[in-house]
Amino acid sequence: MTGMTVQMIFLVFFGAAAVWFGIVVFRTHSMVRSALALLFSQTAVGAMFLVMQAEFLGVLQIMMMATEMSVMAIFMVMFMMDPGGLGEMDMTHQKRLSLSAGGIGLLASLLLVWLPDWGPVALSVPGAHEQAQALGRELLGRSMLVFQSAGLTILTAMVAATMVAIVPNAEQRK
Amino acid sequence: MTVAIVLLSLALGAYLLAVIERWAVHGHLSLTGPAWAALALLGRESVLARKSDRLFFEIGPVLLLVAGLLAVAVIPLAPGLIISDLATGALFLNAALAYVLVALIMAGWGPNGAYAMIAGWRFLGQFIAYAMLIVMPITAVAMRAESLSTVQIVTSQAQLWNVIYQPIGFVLFVVAAMGLAWLPPLDLPDATGELAGGVEADYTGARLAVLRLGRMTIILALAGATVTFYLGGWLGPWLPPWAWSAIKIMLVAAAMLGVGRYMPRIREARYLALSWKLGISLALANIFIVGVIALVVPL
Amino acid sequence: MMLSGARQGALSGIRRVIATAMSRDLSAFVLPGPAIARSRGLDLAGSNLIIVGTPRHAGVLIIVGPIAEGLQDAAAVVYAQMPRPRAILALGAGDIAPLPVADASAPLTQDGLRSGLAELRRVVEAGAFHVDAADFTAAALEVRIEYTCPMHPEVIRDEPGDCPKCGMTLVPRETSAVGHGGHEQAQNMAETVDHSEHAPKSDDSCHAGHDETAKDAAYTCPMHPEVVSDEPGKCPKCGMNLVKADGEGGQGHEGHGTHGGHDEHSSEPVDGIEPHFMSMVELTKDQPRSSDGLQMEWIEAPFGPFFPGLPAGLHLSLTLDGDTVAGSDARSLVGMADLPGGTAMAPGQFVDHLAAMQLSPIAYRALACAAIEDAAGIAFGADDRRARAAAIERERIASHLSWLAEFGVQTGFLWLAGRAGALQLAVQGAGTAEIVALAGPIGRLIRRVQAAPLMRMRLRGIGRFGKDRVAWGPVDRARGGGSDARSDDATLKELGFGIRVRNGGDALARMMLRCDEIDQSIGLIATAGTLAAPMLADVGVVSGEGAASIETPRGAARLTVTLTDGKVTGAELETPSTAHLALIDDLTRQRELGDALVAVGSLDLSPWEMRG
Repeated sequence: MTGMTVQMIFLVFFGAAAVWFGIVVFRTHSMVRSALALLFSQTAVGAMFLVMQAEFLGVLQIMMMATEMSVMAIFMVMFMMDPGGLGEMDMTHQKRLSLSAGGIGLLASLLLVWLPDWGPVALSVPGAHEQAQALGRELLGRSMLVFQSAGLTILTAMVAATMVAIVPNAEQRK
Repeated sequence: MTVAIVLLSLALGAYLLAVIERWAVHGHLSLTGPAWAALALLGRESVLARKSDRLFFEIGPVLLLVAGLLAVAVIPLAPGLIISDLATGALFLNAALAYVLVALIMAGWGPNGAYAMIAGWRFLGQFIAYAMLIVMPITAVAMRAESLSTVQIVTSQAQLWNVIYQPIGFVLFVVAAMGLAWLPPLDLPDATGELAGGVEADYTGARLAVLRLGRMTIILALAGATVTFYLGGWLGPWLPPWAWSAIKIMLVAAAMLGVGRYMPRIREARYLALSWKLGISLALANIFIVGVIALVVPL
Repeated sequence: MMLSGARQGALSGIRRVIATAMSRDLSAFVLPGPAIARSRGLDLAGSNLIIVGTPRHAGVLIIVGPIAEGLQDAAAVVYAQMPRPRAILALGAGDIAPLPVADASAPLTQDGLRSGLAELRRVVEAGAFHVDAADFTAAALEVRIEYTCPMHPEVIRDEPGDCPKCGMTLVPRETSAVGHGGHEQAQNMAETVDHSEHAPKSDDSCHAGHDETAKDAAYTCPMHPEVVSDEPGKCPKCGMNLVKADGEGGQGHEGHGTHGGHDEHSSEPVDGIEPHFMSMVELTKDQPRSSDGLQMEWIEAPFGPFFPGLPAGLHLSLTLDGDTVAGSDARSLVGMADLPGGTAMAPGQFVDHLAAMQLSPIAYRALACAAIEDAAGIAFGADDRRARAAAIERERIASHLSWLAEFGVQTGFLWLAGRAGALQLAVQGAGTAEIVALAGPIGRLIRRVQAAPLMRMRLRGIGRFGKDRVAWGPVDRARGGGSDARSDDATLKELGFGIRVRNGGDALARMMLRCDEIDQSIGLIATAGTLAAPMLADVGVVSGEGAASIETPRGAARLTVTLTDGKVTGAELETPSTAHLALIDDLTRQRELGDALVAVGSLDLSPWEMRG
């Protein structure tokens, strides 16, 4: 049981950190700080995965989010005015709509957590080696179609977005 | 106990790397040089730019050092001499080194200076180039070892080192590693001739010392990774395992530091083009070839 | 004993050790630059110094020769940027105002450098920390407050007030007190970029997202839709003028008129997005697009006058659009090409004045001598002419090697920087026999440079400019042009001179051509067999006009002098670098920063021979 308690403490700590960084994303005036706060929020989520002994998932989350949020940071610098936040302008919009959407989302997730019967808490998890192997077999076995099509879809979306962004510029650049 | 030994050898290794780097950049070979330089840096005042992002300015170098230390934690120096033998060691190494990018973005954005900021964003561009080429060769290596654990990867090379088994992957990994540690000729964020020091330009005093120490740790981690993944880790005849590790890591690191002296810096656009057009095709081919050989040849 | 740049604190305990460490590990920033130091014969690489490219990493400022007047402000800024404790070593510099008194002085020779460094180490060890350390102030460092609008950075006022374009309250900003608008700064001025300036420079920059509640109000703030009011006025949050809210709040919004003060805003409402939503694509649509299609903020960054790899004394300010150069402003701070007119000068004095140009002094000395001799009608024997031509060729070799060394610094090709610098020092004072002996090492250097990996990738296609632009010297000959003042020289024809040309017109062709010219010059010197610096013969009291043209390492320089009764009363000088300065804009526009700097470097400018 002590193992579980220690685990719970860490879980709560990282969860609170994730929520706090998420709040910082909207409270700060600087765009770059906002992007990097989101990054650390995701890192905290990855740490939560590690605490829950899903090692591969946790490491993957930490790795991917670092790179993705950094790319987002540069896009924010490009497209937002005052990325340094020194003008201290309020950059939030559609406050009513977003508050309602957030509230509904919170309610839905809480209901999702409490209502269904998730089964008993697992008292022991397979070791990290077995987990990685099982994950590999799952990804390339039963779930191969799902992941491959997802991958192709994302790639197509990326290529399409890039083309849409570049083509009008080529026309302008006569 | 193991942690202490590994950290001590890390410190010694980082010091030796500083000696080698001083020789590569300035041409003086001096064993006490870095010690004096470190002491001198501690005595210099720290200068803070106006309207800087103080948080990022402070955290940048520290995050760099932390990323390096985390990366070193999964490098095996000898059987049993590893800080943390994670089952996903190779992936964890990559995850830790991804924070080098975050640290440099912070170090670039923090000081509110033109040179640093351009350098920080240039490193992001460089990252886009090397990111895939760091991960894909690791995939091929893990395929052979049938595990992501660094210890398993080393033991899988008992019969044949990966540098001979997967030479394409080796070359790609080393070049990508040099891009990650921003070593010349891929030192776009640090370019003295173009950006007067780039991300390091606005750091002085103790913070600069931390930044440089962080960089040495990262180079050490990358040399360690190259040795672990491709050069057989601690494997070798006659000498004890830790000696082999030490020799190999030092040689690889010295080669990485020295090669940039003899060529001009690469252009960013060409680096990106080469990495994506040539590099990724080769990496995919490497994975395919390794897969076929692994299925066919029992090695 | 205290350094003028000592750090506050008592010298005790750990600080003593640190001071000793600082004296052992001297990191130096060279003023005006390592290239100038080498051309004066100083071997900085031999001594145990670390030469750094930015004053922030330096503990010692080494001043080589007296500071030119145009560089004094920049020198003060560089000194102020060094972290304390900082020291100054002045080599043959005399009075270095506005900098404080040098901590160690020595004559401008290699021995002087050695003794100066030894003295400096003693001074640093003893005086790095002191309880009475004072700060450094200079006129160039004063700042003044100017007021600017966060949304319209081009609006700058000296007093607080409101922006004439949008009505927002102006915010204060610090800027340099000398020069205009804070642009006259040496490298690394920390306040060059203000993060609040990251607003697109367009007139309709207003992030207007309307909330539905603004539907029925009379007036609202374009940036804060929750602020509503029944009368016109100012927004309490940002100070902008309130504008009439449009009654519908929905689709069908016309462009003009409804947003007061945003005349060019033509928003076609996009389906699904809230009305009056201003996308960044629209905001920036009037701005010129950079060549890679990415629209970023414009920053003005200085690259000089002491930038590593660029010629010292060149003030280069690039307006950067992200990573691409959007505009450039280049001029020389140390130009000496404007010759004093009116007053009469003794011919010897005139020759010395011209030879005081820091780069290629021998060529200019020869030019002055030739012009005066032409005016006075003196002719020379063949041997003397050969000796003089050989001296100019020796200087050509040294200058091209110096350029290779600076190119090495600029591109991170450190082996080249070291080796070319060492060979330059060896060539500079050498006689014909020694130069012929150096032909081997120099040849190997050239072969290695031309075959270096990544070299072609680095240089190919960079630095091209239009065919109609004027260029001289290697820059012109590298694009197939045929201008070389040596083609008309009978002496050189005897020695076997043939003009060398390359096609390509880019930085690669220029580098190859300079390597070719080094080889050629060694051959010419070997054929000449004798070498002597140009000396002015006794002119006597004559009057006349004369002109001469010499091929300096950078191109043809032309001088006309008027002699009256043995004194020089008028002179006109045309130099190649003046014409090349005008090429910089062409070369750098829309190029990536690294490529732009390499292109500027490939011109091999000498700011000393430009018009100041």
